[in-house]
Amino acid sequence: MAIVQSRSGGAIAWRILKYALLGAGVVIMVVPFIDMFLGALRTPAERLANPPVYWPRDPQWINFKRVFTETPALIWFKNSIIITFAVTFIQLLTSSMAGYALAKFRFRGASLLFRGVLGAQMFPFFLFIIPVFFILRYFPMAGGNDLFGQGGSGFLNTYAAIILPFTITWYGIFLMRQFFMGVPDELLDAARLDGAGEFRIFFIIVLPLVLPGLATLGIFVFVYQWNEVIWTMTITRTAPDLQTLPVGIYLLRGAFADEATQSLQQAAVAVSIIPVMFTFLFLQRFYVRGLTAGAVKG
Amino acid sequence: MTDQQDRATRYGQAPAPLPDLIDDAPPLTLRQRISSKSVAPWIFLSPMLAFGVIFFLLPIIFAAYISLTRWNSLTAPRFVGLKNYEYLLTGDPKFWGTVWNTIYFAAGTLAVGIPLALVLAYAFTRAYGQAFWRSIYWLPMITNVVAVAYIWKFLLDDSFGLVNMALGKLGLPGPGWLTNPGIAMISVILVFVWMQLGHNMLLFSAGLANIDESYYEAARLDGASESQLFFRITVPLLKPTILFVLITNFITGLSYFTLMLVLTEGGPVGATNVTALYMYKMAFEDLRMGRASAVAYILFAFILVVTLIQLRVFRRGGVEAH
Repeated sequence: MAIVQSRSGGAIAWRILKYALLGAGVVIMVVPFIDMFLGALRTPAERLANPPVYWPRDPQWINFKRVFTETPALIWFKNSIIITFAVTFIQLLTSSMAGYALAKFRFRGASLLFRGVLGAQMFPFFLFIIPVFFILRYFPMAGGNDLFGQGGSGFLNTYAAIILPFTITWYGIFLMRQFFMGVPDELLDAARLDGAGEFRIFFIIVLPLVLPGLATLGIFVFVYQWNEVIWTMTITRTAPDLQTLPVGIYLLRGAFADEATQSLQQAAVAVSIIPVMFTFLFLQRFYVRGLTAGAVKG
Repeated sequence: MTDQQDRATRYGQAPAPLPDLIDDAPPLTLRQRISSKSVAPWIFLSPMLAFGVIFFLLPIIFAAYISLTRWNSLTAPRFVGLKNYEYLLTGDPKFWGTVWNTIYFAAGTLAVGIPLALVLAYAFTRAYGQAFWRSIYWLPMITNVVAVAYIWKFLLDDSFGLVNMALGKLGLPGPGWLTNPGIAMISVILVFVWMQLGHNMLLFSAGLANIDESYYEAARLDGASESQLFFRITVPLLKPTILFVLITNFITGLSYFTLMLVLTEGGPVGATNVTALYMYKMAFEDLRMGRASAVAYILFAFILVVTLIQLRVFRRGGVEAH
């Protein structure tokens, strides 16, 4: 190629170095996943050998089936699906509602609220773990509690306890506001003149216009919630029926400790990764927008 | 639209004023009132406001109150004033060690992760096959932390892990990556960097894409070498992004503890016990809610100072932080 030839030797050396660097990085990124996958296919005998057999001679594909029949992975999987989809749907709704109000309405206190949304993002997650746990525990009139939050167990041991703290994220509101800012006011005013109510305008006219925004936030929340560990674990430590895939795998670690069951653990780990991996591969361009929105300017 | 208005427009007259301005107009129905322009925003905001009160303001106040009490969550809390803070800052034999671990972790992830992400992003931004590189480098970032921990537990196993077997083939002694207290934190940092690399690469490459290609072309015409291009053009022009990534990564690092909880459980002998993990275990294993809340507030105060410095820096640097 003429362009390449006209460049100096240093430029060509840099090109080679560039792809060598990226290639080396790829090896470091991918080998751990392959190692896990091979582990899931090993027999107990191959694990017990000294030194252990690295490449499985008789790949145990059945381990991916045994995960579902011999461990509670099916329940975990179901919980992961329920919780992830519920949180994603709720957050899309609440974030777009709040984002729309902050972007498109002028009312007393609007800028104060928006500053509140920005400021709230400074508060780290760990600060909320203890108080929110007890707010859910002593929530009035929930789970057998009386008006003063006594007597029952509140929201503990329910899906609500896992989902409620994630019904809103400040970042989601901020992100959706940015997308709504791009919707022209004239469009809304025209719809108002035609006699459309505010809710009809929002759901029928405006929401379809910010579908890319909803996709961005949706994939973002989906990946985050599928992978969420700390909160779900805190709530479900004593409620195995509510555990998700990552949490279940971690809390049942004692049962996966020997050579006979380690392959099952690695198969379960693979199962916990695959759904989000596929979702991501198809929707990754939306994910980029979520991560870079507001992060880099100038 | 009311009948009155409708009739008025139909006969070509000027439309009547809005009905609520006319004294004898029929009162608005509840439905119309709710979907009016002045009430609607508050209805749109109501989920956020309810959540903000119950799951944001209330917990912040509640946590502050708990931190002033002695409470095992089973019997009623007993007010002790600032005793928890006093004990943590002056008497607790472990607290300052966890603070040191926290700073070690946060600074370590910066020292290893940022240069790596910057160089790889620089190589990536103008390379062929973007979609391919991107998918692979982002794989760890979308993998749940339990999976990451178990993947690396097997890889870093003392005798039969892939890493030490590979080192053995080269004739090098493999260290006890997760069992040696002097090395465990380094292992945690490396695994965390592996997890976060794609994220930081993405932020850097977004910044790199904003740099005008004409700078590079002009410099090449003047005979600049590739390393000069990187250090004289890329790094200075990318300074706002680098600052942003540095500070947000540092704040994330200070409050992070999930990987330590799952991979090393804070061990061996407390070598990876960071302050946030210390708080979590104190609350849910030792049931010391009061003291744990005080830990949370001290760590939060520290992070807040860093955050305020960040905001100042960005205002000066012209970067809009979110």
